[in-house]
Amino acid sequence: MSDNNLLNAVAGFRDAMAAKDALAQTGSDFTEVKGAVAKTISQLHPKRLALTVTQIVEDTPSTKTLRVAASDSRLLPPFQAGQYINVFVQINGVETARPYAVASSPCERRYYDLTIKRAQGGFVSHHLLDAVQVGDSLQSSGPMGSFHHNPVFHGDDLVFLAGGSGSVPARSMLLNILHNDLPFNFQLIYANSFVDDVIYADELRQLASEHANFRLDEIISRPPAGFTGRSGRLTGEVLRELLGEQLDGKMFYICGPTPFNNNCLEQLLALGVKRRRIRIEANGAPKSPDQQAGWPQGVSLDDEVTISVRGKGSFTAKVGEPLLNSLERNGYGAENACRSGECSLCRIKLLSGAVFNPTEAHLRKSDRDFGWIYSCVAFPTEDIEILL
Amino acid sequence: MHSYDAVVIGAGNAGLTAATALQREGSKTLLLERHNIPGGCATSFVRGQFEFEVALHQLSGLGTPDKPFIMRKVFDSLGVLDKVEFVQEHSLYRLAVPGEIDVTLPASWSGLKRTLIELFPAEQAGIEAFLKLCETICLESFMTLPQARRAGSEDMLKKMCPHYVKYGFMSAKSVVDEHFQDPKLKSLISAYWLYLGVPPGEIPFPDLAVMIYAYAAFKPWHIKGGSQAMSNALVESFLEAGGEVRFNCGAEKILTDNGAVSGVQLETGEVVKCRTVVSNASPLMTFNELLDGQQPPLPVQQDFKSRRMGTSAFVIYLGLDCTPQELGITAASSFVYQTLSDEALYQRMGSLEAPLGGMLTCYNFEEPEAAPPGKSQVVLVCLQYGDVWNSVAPEDYAKTKYAFAEQLIDVIEQVYPKVRDYIEEVEVATPLTMMRYLNTPSGAIYGFRQSTEDSALLRERLDGVPGLYLASAWTGMGGFQPTYMAGESTARAALKYIKAQHTEVAHV
Repeated sequence: MSDNNLLNAVAGFRDAMAAKDALAQTGSDFTEVKGAVAKTISQLHPKRLALTVTQIVEDTPSTKTLRVAASDSRLLPPFQAGQYINVFVQINGVETARPYAVASSPCERRYYDLTIKRAQGGFVSHHLLDAVQVGDSLQSSGPMGSFHHNPVFHGDDLVFLAGGSGSVPARSMLLNILHNDLPFNFQLIYANSFVDDVIYADELRQLASEHANFRLDEIISRPPAGFTGRSGRLTGEVLRELLGEQLDGKMFYICGPTPFNNNCLEQLLALGVKRRRIRIEANGAPKSPDQQAGWPQGVSLDDEVTISVRGKGSFTAKVGEPLLNSLERNGYGAENACRSGECSLCRIKLLSGAVFNPTEAHLRKSDRDFGWIYSCVAFPTEDIEILL
Repeated sequence: MHSYDAVVIGAGNAGLTAATALQREGSKTLLLERHNIPGGCATSFVRGQFEFEVALHQLSGLGTPDKPFIMRKVFDSLGVLDKVEFVQEHSLYRLAVPGEIDVTLPASWSGLKRTLIELFPAEQAGIEAFLKLCETICLESFMTLPQARRAGSEDMLKKMCPHYVKYGFMSAKSVVDEHFQDPKLKSLISAYWLYLGVPPGEIPFPDLAVMIYAYAAFKPWHIKGGSQAMSNALVESFLEAGGEVRFNCGAEKILTDNGAVSGVQLETGEVVKCRTVVSNASPLMTFNELLDGQQPPLPVQQDFKSRRMGTSAFVIYLGLDCTPQELGITAASSFVYQTLSDEALYQRMGSLEAPLGGMLTCYNFEEPEAAPPGKSQVVLVCLQYGDVWNSVAPEDYAKTKYAFAEQLIDVIEQVYPKVRDYIEEVEVATPLTMMRYLNTPSGAIYGFRQSTEDSALLRERLDGVPGLYLASAWTGMGGFQPTYMAGESTARAALKYIKAQHTEVAHV
């Protein structure tokens, strides 16, 4: 520095310069840590996983479990039981993705089990169930999501209310507890429509009979004639009976179809459970956003609007289709993972027009203020222009 | 192939202000960000009903609307002053060391002096002299020292900066020791060292003085909507000026031609042409990994050798189902220690043993909208050097993270005993989280270790590759004000280069 001589007049300057030069004698140019950041991060939070399907098991008439392993045969990243990966697929030229909770135990890192139930009117689930074969390659995100046991405040008395395939993350949480011999009580209240469509039925019943700290309560909403088990809906009365009197300290996890989730939440709150003791798994974009407060009058889900992507083109879409889906169907796209309005990866800018942001959209205040939206749960209620 | 005057790599504070300044001055600029959101540290995330501020604890340099200070001018020139709202904090901090001291200092220059004298009447003379010295050293550092350096005159230096000449390179600790007797007063007045992660014995006195003076005289501030609001406002201003931004798109390589910048290869494989790059990535990443083919210039390698890795942070974001009053919060910012020994506190920052101190910030104490009604947004921090996390096996990571979080909450609960009872949302960030989102070695949040030897006054600018500029905490001080300003001033240097290039082209 040109004025070194000048600053020599400052007391301590020479000493500091000498100290700096001494550091240079023993220091490194950091080339030895080249690539270290990328390596560390990819072990925990890879942007993409290259996976191979190694096994397919038919669980029930509507459900299969795909076992996937890393295509390079390495261990998969660790995850917290309850987390999901977002599986990227290409179907008839359309690139899209869906998040699936990992069903297997986090202790097992040679593979993840993905249990997939056929979704009514589904697109990706049909593809995964009907077209994917053992040996096929898939791509996914790394494990993500905050629907998991958090030891900082969840405690050791856990209740999981699962509806249908909502039992997938419950299975992973249960296996984690049993494999690690965690001192937790785990109660699974498991609701299904049909007796022949209960995923993991035998396994769960077996585990419940073997482990005192795992209690399984099943309920069937459409029982066959002569069914002797518990049937009907999960009412407050049923829940009170299954849960007992002592609700303080329990942590509740809810995962199932949206009406199931809403019902469970309502019943638990009515039983006096604090909202902060209830965790609900995100569930994709709402099917009926027009039933939510704030939906613009006179706009119907079947109305058609024009979506313009600045500098790239435009297409027509239905109001009721989440924007990300219509973008993908028309050859556009945005990074995404949860597809439920939580992870914020599909955040894009709305330049003009209006979209409806449902309660599922966990937008930041300033994103709202500056017109950024989560395309996975945004419904264009008029012609819009966006920036990709 | 797309062509730009400048490509800015990284939308952290310095990247955002650099890109905005470049574009507003008419340079066609592409801003690249690996993540889906601008800000780097200056960001927020949503869990349940809460939006959590990630990193801004106290914004300095703003001043009040009546007595504005430099950051209002900087934000105004970037076109964002009317796009955000600021929230003033009325206390500097509460320092609580159970059994030793529990004091809250007001964010007022006269009030600070009054409070300290009331608490330590025997040290009145030292307090008055010390605060006067803090003020003087700041004025000299920012006003007369640059003048004297420009003039290159030792006479001027000695005449215009007498205090700087005496104290400019003394350690903060030695100046504090020179003025005070009581170890509690020493701890109280030095508490801001915890923002730097380097103990008072190893930081130059002006670094501490400027924090005390700037926060007390020009107030500490939050931003409505959090620092994300400023990051979003800067992107808005950048886009309004015609800039182009790409999220989820990192830079893979900085390309050169005859040693000078010629373009950038993006994560997608696409190559864009540009003769100027402002890198908001760390210089280590920039020179050792992004710069194509070539070794960093020798002076840069030499500079790296005299650096040491800076601190990272361990942070717990808490959404609490209770009011700040129910928690016993009386000031937005608290330091909670178990010991008065800054050396002991500092030693623990390099280990996974229970921390001996931490900070608590309650964002809705002064700004009710920062949490849902009846609830609180509380963030606990202890600075931590990230290397200890490199040896944690991936499968042990979550367990280790939660175990350390429990230890930090234990420390804070000695003063705020009800934190655990009210948790509704919690997210824990470790140095590896910082590494993930900032792409910095060891998850460093302020760049290199900010000891006296790190001072910019001892160093040349990291250049040697024409067209390549660095703007971040790594080439100056860390923190919000310094990085916002670093980006803006780097843009000015880059603009000169761009202009010269255009002139050259015109002459050909």
